[in-house]
Amino acid sequence: MITRWLLRRLARSVDDRLRTAPVVRRVLAAVFPDHWSFMLGEIALYSFVVLVLTGVFLTLFFAPSTADTVYTGAYAPLDGARTSAAYASTVRLSFDIRAGLLMRQSHHWAALLFVGAIVLHLLRIFFTGAFRRPREMNWLIGVTMLALALFNGFTGYSIPDDLLSGTGLRILYSVTQSIPLVGEWLVFLAAGGEFPTDEMVPRMFVSHVLLVPAVLAALIAIHLGILIRQKHSQFPGPGRTENNVVGSLFWPSYTVRTLALFAWVLAVTFALGGLAQINPVWIYGPFDPAQATSPAQPDWYVAWGDGALRLFPAVEFRIFGQLVPSPFLPGVVFGGLTFAGLYLWPFLDRRHGRDRLAHQLLDPPRAHPARLGFGVAVLALFAVLLAAAADDVIATILRVPVLDVLAILRVLALALPVPAGVTAYLVARALRANGGRGVGDLTRADVRSAGRLVCVGSPVGGAPTGIGTPEGTAEPVDADRVELWRDRTGLWRWRYRGASVSLTANRAYPSRAEAERAARTAYGDLSVWEVAPPGGRPGAPAAVAARAGRAAGRVGGYLALAAVAFWRARRDRRR
Amino acid sequence: MTGTEAGPARRIGVILAVLGLAAGPVPLSASAAPTPVPPDTSAAVPGGLVSPATPGAGPGSSAPPSATDPARSRGADLFLRSCASCHGPRGEGTQRGPSLVGVGPASVDFQLSTGRMPLDQEAAQPPHRRPAFSAADIQAIVGHVGSFGGGGPQIPTVGPGDLREGRELFLAHCAACHSAAGVGATLTNGLVAPSLDRSTPVQVAEAIRVGPGLMPAFPESILSPAQVDAVASYVQHLRGDRLDRGGASLGRLGPMTEGLVAWVVGLALLVGVARWLGSRAGR
Repeated sequence: MITRWLLRRLARSVDDRLRTAPVVRRVLAAVFPDHWSFMLGEIALYSFVVLVLTGVFLTLFFAPSTADTVYTGAYAPLDGARTSAAYASTVRLSFDIRAGLLMRQSHHWAALLFVGAIVLHLLRIFFTGAFRRPREMNWLIGVTMLALALFNGFTGYSIPDDLLSGTGLRILYSVTQSIPLVGEWLVFLAAGGEFPTDEMVPRMFVSHVLLVPAVLAALIAIHLGILIRQKHSQFPGPGRTENNVVGSLFWPSYTVRTLALFAWVLAVTFALGGLAQINPVWIYGPFDPAQATSPAQPDWYVAWGDGALRLFPAVEFRIFGQLVPSPFLPGVVFGGLTFAGLYLWPFLDRRHGRDRLAHQLLDPPRAHPARLGFGVAVLALFAVLLAAAADDVIATILRVPVLDVLAILRVLALALPVPAGVTAYLVARALRANGGRGVGDLTRADVRSAGRLVCVGSPVGGAPTGIGTPEGTAEPVDADRVELWRDRTGLWRWRYRGASVSLTANRAYPSRAEAERAARTAYGDLSVWEVAPPGGRPGAPAAVAARAGRAAGRVGGYLALAAVAFWRARRDRRR
Repeated sequence: MTGTEAGPARRIGVILAVLGLAAGPVPLSASAAPTPVPPDTSAAVPGGLVSPATPGAGPGSSAPPSATDPARSRGADLFLRSCASCHGPRGEGTQRGPSLVGVGPASVDFQLSTGRMPLDQEAAQPPHRRPAFSAADIQAIVGHVGSFGGGGPQIPTVGPGDLREGRELFLAHCAACHSAAGVGATLTNGLVAPSLDRSTPVQVAEAIRVGPGLMPAFPESILSPAQVDAVASYVQHLRGDRLDRGGASLGRLGPMTEGLVAWVVGLALLVGVARWLGSRAGR
């Protein structure tokens, strides 16, 4: 009773001064959809909270310095040994400080879960098309947070200055160094000299505990602010339209649910931290550039980069006399392409689907077979890369030559993504065609018909996206009728076709049956015709010309490069 | 567009063929191996790995006379039954096995006490197993092989060593192949640096001096007896789960197993919780 009175007084006095009531009301009244996949991002959020809580504890005892120290403590094999302060303090944290090891391990497990939850969240957004207008901005912020999470994970893994992480740091140093022209400058700027430097641990520490977490916290705030402002997207369903959100209110029902999730995240991270050993740096030993341990891999979230380095053949070449070392293509270019692709995806998808409309309703993944197929193909490639980062472990366990493992993984990296993507594409088409039943209900005939559609060629022409716009008719029809067709994106549309006018329905349907049902509801007495998408292929000659122009430009570029190379070779010979 | 249909099938065929080629030679070579006569193990003491304190004991000094030929010593008898088929009756070596002249007692004791010899099937790298002979029998065979010719490292005597020095030496000399955690790692051609989880101090010291397989030998000019003692005692410290203070060791294989656990246990559990919480909504 008294607390309630106090709270009310407090709220009123704050509101008097800051006028917070409208904002708070808006947040508390926000509606959260009930589908479980909307909680994946929250797993990441709460992992971040665990990371901050445990991280604050760790900073109280960690010494971010490479200064020589003598460790004295409970870990006998290191007792009295000279190591860097960073390593000694990490071992002391693990052996001599109460709950230190639990905190350190929970921190590390929370980091693995944090990035994992971000990736799952990203996949949900990707496959359901939640990145489309108006949510492109939140997608960009999310991708930025993923990049920052990878970077912060890597620095956190590296600052204990142990043998295993030192090897990884050396790899990152060399990959950065491999950038032509600027690489050498960049690493000297970042590390303060030739590897290993005394600056690295303190600098990574500042970035790990201050800069990146601060930016991450700010971006999380913006991410959630935009979410509240734009309101949630939702899956299509009864009563769900582009103009509403169906779900639970933030207060009280969703608050209870999300706090339950928070408790679960705490429980899982601390259970893992207490029961499963992670990164036992006392066994790995302090970093020494002359030593190595094997098998060696990085944490899983950067392992795809390591896998690319292991798989890619060692190619070195020169451009204008500048050596481009072998880590450049798999390290810098591949990583750069990955994130460039992620950043550009909403815009590429918009171009491909010719869909500039705002979407509040999500697609089921099957509604966009091309997007699903592409995503599955990329996932297959990254799965192979992750396996490649563990090639030494696979070779040890299976007792097969590590080079054979590498060769097989190289074949898989080239051969697996396309069949995986095509399979996903065909399954999605078959699912869409059979009208919303599950994968288990697919018959062979469904898959075959989906494949046949591919052979015939995907439907052409720009789908009319106008809302109920009357369109001129090219050729008159005998009687009023309803026309059905499948548009470029694979969705079904219909229109009323009169003698002199046509009216396109403003909704697209995932299956022919649904479109037909909608058309019959509106025009029950008219006959339904399935037609080719109207509009034909607009500007086909122009597209051909543009493609030819691009090809000519590319050929010209190669020719110019070849000419330059030839000229340089001749000049060198003359010398 | 039709090409995309035939493409996957052909690619899968290629992958299967590659996998089959890679896996094929293993069973082939295994089945071609001869099986030697099982040795007399009636006197074997299970796990009886006593550190031989008297290196190079004379042949027949303690062994009982053989039932088949009372004139032959125990060591010679066992050698002829279990070793001579490959290494030759006088240890001179044959096409199937290398010469044992001058290999030294440490090498013979290492191979026999780790159960790597005698081979029951041909293998590029026999694994660490239970020894086929009792400690006394091993001692007898070591003595008999010593009679073929002198030289070679003697069986080292291992005392307690300094843990800290052992850790430093292990990381400098051993970790690159056996892994800092002592779990072993892959080498070239499918050979592995084996896990040290079952190695006794004497076996560790013998391996250091002898350098079995691809391992380099470390003579006294590189590692003094005290340093070998230190490494051996650190390896004993690595064995078992004494150093796994953080809980389940996950095989000490490094970050990839940890990542697997994070996904298969942690994230699977949390996603399951999210599904459960989501399914309870609206009730």
